[in-house]
Amino acid sequence: MHLEPSCKKILTEWAAQKAAYAADEYVYTVRSKEIRVPTFTTSLSHTRIPRVALPKYQDWGEILRWVLRENVPGKFPYTAGVFPFKRQEEDPTRMFAGEGGPERTNRRFHYVSVDMPANRLSTAFDSVTLYGEDPDYRPDIYGKVGNSGVSICCLDDAKKLYSGFDLCDPRTSVSMTINGPAATIVAFFMHAAIDQQCEQYIRRNGLEPVVEAKLAEVYDQRGLPRPRYHGEIPPGNDGLGLMLLGLTGDQVLPTEAYTSLKAKALNAVRGTVQADILKEDQAQNTCIFSTEFALKLMGDVQEYFVQNQVRNFYSVSISGYHIAEAGANPISQLAFTLSNGFTFVEYYLSRGMHIDDFAPNLSFFFSNGVDPEYAVIGRVARRIWAKAMKEKYGANERSQMLKYHIQTSGRSLHAQEIDFNDIRTTLQALYAIYDNCNSLHTNAYDEAITTPTEESVRRAMAIQLIINKELGLAKNENPLQGAFIIEELTDLVEEAVLAEFDRISERGGVLGAMETMYQRGKIQEESLYYETRKHSGDYPIIGVNTFLSKEGSLTIVPSEVIRATPEEKEAQIQTLQNLQTAQAEFGPKALQRLQQVAISNGNIFAELMETAKYCSLGEITHALYAVGGQYRRNM
Amino acid sequence: MEAITAYQPKYKIRLVTAASLFDGHDAAINIMRRILQSSGAEIIHLGHNRSVQEIVDAAIQEDVQGIAITSYQGGHLEFFKYMYDLLQEKGSGHIKIFGGGGGTILPHEVAELQSYGIARIYSPDDGRQLGLQGMINDLLAKCDFPVGQNLNGELNTFRLREGRSIARMISAIENYPEANRDWLDQLQQEIAGKIIPVLGITGTGGAGKSSLVDELLRRFLLDFTDKTIAIVSVDPSKRKTGGALLGDRIRMNAASNSRVYMRSLATRQSNLALSRYVADAVNILKAAGFDLIILETSGIGQSDTEIVDHSDVSLYVMTPEYGAATQLEKIDMIDFADVIAINKFDKRGALDALRDVKKQYQRAHQLWQKPVEEMPVFGTIASQFNDPGMNRLYQKVIEVLVEKTGANLPSDFQAGAEVSEKVYIIPPQRSRYLSEIAESNRAYERWVERQTDTARQLFALHTTINFLRTQTKTPIPNSLQGLKTTTNPGIAPGTFL
Repeated sequence: MHLEPSCKKILTEWAAQKAAYAADEYVYTVRSKEIRVPTFTTSLSHTRIPRVALPKYQDWGEILRWVLRENVPGKFPYTAGVFPFKRQEEDPTRMFAGEGGPERTNRRFHYVSVDMPANRLSTAFDSVTLYGEDPDYRPDIYGKVGNSGVSICCLDDAKKLYSGFDLCDPRTSVSMTINGPAATIVAFFMHAAIDQQCEQYIRRNGLEPVVEAKLAEVYDQRGLPRPRYHGEIPPGNDGLGLMLLGLTGDQVLPTEAYTSLKAKALNAVRGTVQADILKEDQAQNTCIFSTEFALKLMGDVQEYFVQNQVRNFYSVSISGYHIAEAGANPISQLAFTLSNGFTFVEYYLSRGMHIDDFAPNLSFFFSNGVDPEYAVIGRVARRIWAKAMKEKYGANERSQMLKYHIQTSGRSLHAQEIDFNDIRTTLQALYAIYDNCNSLHTNAYDEAITTPTEESVRRAMAIQLIINKELGLAKNENPLQGAFIIEELTDLVEEAVLAEFDRISERGGVLGAMETMYQRGKIQEESLYYETRKHSGDYPIIGVNTFLSKEGSLTIVPSEVIRATPEEKEAQIQTLQNLQTAQAEFGPKALQRLQQVAISNGNIFAELMETAKYCSLGEITHALYAVGGQYRRNM
Repeated sequence: MEAITAYQPKYKIRLVTAASLFDGHDAAINIMRRILQSSGAEIIHLGHNRSVQEIVDAAIQEDVQGIAITSYQGGHLEFFKYMYDLLQEKGSGHIKIFGGGGGTILPHEVAELQSYGIARIYSPDDGRQLGLQGMINDLLAKCDFPVGQNLNGELNTFRLREGRSIARMISAIENYPEANRDWLDQLQQEIAGKIIPVLGITGTGGAGKSSLVDELLRRFLLDFTDKTIAIVSVDPSKRKTGGALLGDRIRMNAASNSRVYMRSLATRQSNLALSRYVADAVNILKAAGFDLIILETSGIGQSDTEIVDHSDVSLYVMTPEYGAATQLEKIDMIDFADVIAINKFDKRGALDALRDVKKQYQRAHQLWQKPVEEMPVFGTIASQFNDPGMNRLYQKVIEVLVEKTGANLPSDFQAGAEVSEKVYIIPPQRSRYLSEIAESNRAYERWVERQTDTARQLFALHTTINFLRTQTKTPIPNSLQGLKTTTNPGIAPGTFL
């Protein structure tokens, strides 16, 4: 009988642990900062509701097993959550926007952010941008400019898009849903943040005349219009980020000042870019470069982040959402997503990066449907990740913590009886919140038929707020722990995921399996199974295949949907043409340098940070096609 | 719902299918194309994210009766109208356009598009009323018209390598061979004595042939900035349904170029590797004045030598996964091919395969006077960008073409001496990472169970000792005495009692 010291320590400290959670305040440290939080809330009936409830086990075996497999939130294996307590000051509510040109989306961002203590801006891009191209008069492009997302084709667009939000303020965080051309868009974003820092420096030091002189030189004297923010600047936008439209900080500031402002900005920016090219090939099809080149680009971005201490911006959001939307069941969603995550880990390690330098920069994104497995998706993900990081990769605690965003399932919403959709979303949100997700997006009920309206988005936000603020049980932060079914489900799903790991491994790992389209095939199979059961009625969906209304629960068709206006499209094409005229000299040279770096196997992102100052998204994409190869479609 | 039987077309129907530009939603079009094919149509599937120009060019070159597109990303009004306009502009207004986009295309937009000239936009309600097969039947009935019965001036225009005319002439020969013999015979006389090289490419299914053709094409277009090229790609028809999936274009990125003409043909006779009219098609392309013609056939295994009769130079594409070296002796094409590519050269046993195939090539071609290393066999990884093996293969193919036919193809292409080497994203020795993680996680759980058992036993002893001490006057037996210290992992007695 040998009890290992670590286990002995657990048992030794158990009593103190329980006492700590029973005290009025719990004290812990994050990044050497002491945090004191109350351990309970009080209900209307004056009941003390513990924020974290601990088991009443007495048997050392039970205590030990619980600590080793479950533990309190914030402790290995992080089954119940990666942080000891949820943040009180910041609701995990993201403000989603993306429509028309950067100005319209910027106005929308400011509208939804009014009176919010923190600005969590989530950006949807139009399909032209998602495929790395520029706006154009060609009708098949023109029709898509600024629809279902914002049109962004250059640095100035990014500056306008986030203008009036201080991108280096720790309360601002930006999420960008883009994959194929993610590296270029990140470069635009970083420069928007850097130039905001420069702008503040310029104002502090009264250097406005230098900017004015430079603008006159680059634009006025050449008879070119100065780039500008079209239309009115909305309330709440103080104009930060607009001073240097058409210029970059290094054109007006001494090198030394610019370099230090740049370093500061890179260190401060908070946010996430999706950039998950593996799930694109497996499920969503917005690949533009050959898969290998796309992965190389991702590695370059991550390497640059490590070298430049970009610590608060997540370089990839490893996404299961689109895998689930394409039809995968929750187990496949989780298995494919985690296996994709471990593939990035292996690739970055093979490039010589240290696990603890990049693992904390990875984040995950899952869909929550109504299947039973979704009750434990976060628990299983956190537990598998933490164990692998600790045991297999010898990673530190920050690396062991899997952070994830949940979006309720768009696929589970139906175009019939659309009012019922909010009920589904509520249940999915409840799963997510009980499972301690790090952030949550609740879909609007009309998303199945159209672009959500202000009214439907407000209702969707209310779902989260009602659970978080009104629902009494949600005042407790580990309500799932200790339930027999939850423990059982967690074990079943965990083993199912590991079994899938073995199947992928037999096919040569994630990339090997992708070559024979294993993941795609499995997703399609599972999608067909669902559709067949839905069609036959074996899988009941209320108001869709059963419990139909007297009228037969007909499909709802929207009367009109929001589309970008011709003026907005025009403005985008104008912005692009002005950029190309203004940069006629530097642009082509910058593209050549970029290609040279790619050919000589240098860090492409480091060079992209230069190219992004002079060139458009489409120009960069095409330059990279010539040196990295275009994506080749599969049947 | 009642099962609807498939429409029986009177004429052979050819269709281009694709998803709209900047649109990755390909689930619906994949279902549609499968039903279209099983209803007897020949499908040229382009996949997702295709521009109007690409779709229209493909439709004209392939001489299809219809185009079926899904569009879920908005911009459908502009997209479909532009497609209609471009077809009109290119004199191919007879090609019918069909579309679908679920709820994203609003009812009044459906009406607007249909009155503009789009044959039909299918709505979700159409889907419910007609069922999938019902929609497909409706589409097929609208496309069931003859193609190539009579030529209409094409013989005067096709020599400008004008895609529409060439396409129609090939259809005429394919659909009405007897009625079109005369002009074809004339063309044959006309091209006699002209040097227009034909490169035949064949190989086993799944060898990555279309990617390899695309990579050759890309290099040709970069190497020769003014030369033109035509590709004929042959795929098998299904014997049971008569339908065919002509799937080469989906892999081609380089084919969207004004110097390229591409035509996919179905064998229409299931036991042949080549369409009966392939020779006629090649002759039409020769007369049209292309600088090089590539003829690619479906890989149905070991009897593809037919291609040799139709080409000046033949390239055989295989993979290292053919089994034992003795299997090579059964492959006829090794005896006939001028050049061999062992594609997917990153697969296990690739270097052995290269050596064995070279030896077999030497034996079959009786090239004893040459060192075996110099046999024209190349390891390639077509899926890898700028693959050195592909570069060498391209160089060799052009060299042999010039050597054997005297074709005017002065290449400046520089290929290094390197061998194809896979640039690994995950190092091969790490390829078991997922199993290692699974093993490590399972080992952790086993360890937890062992430690838990120990803790439980210690707790039982601890409880017993406490019980004996506090509840009974019985002295603690010697056998338990020694355990007292070990069973108490520093926890105050009675903590849990």
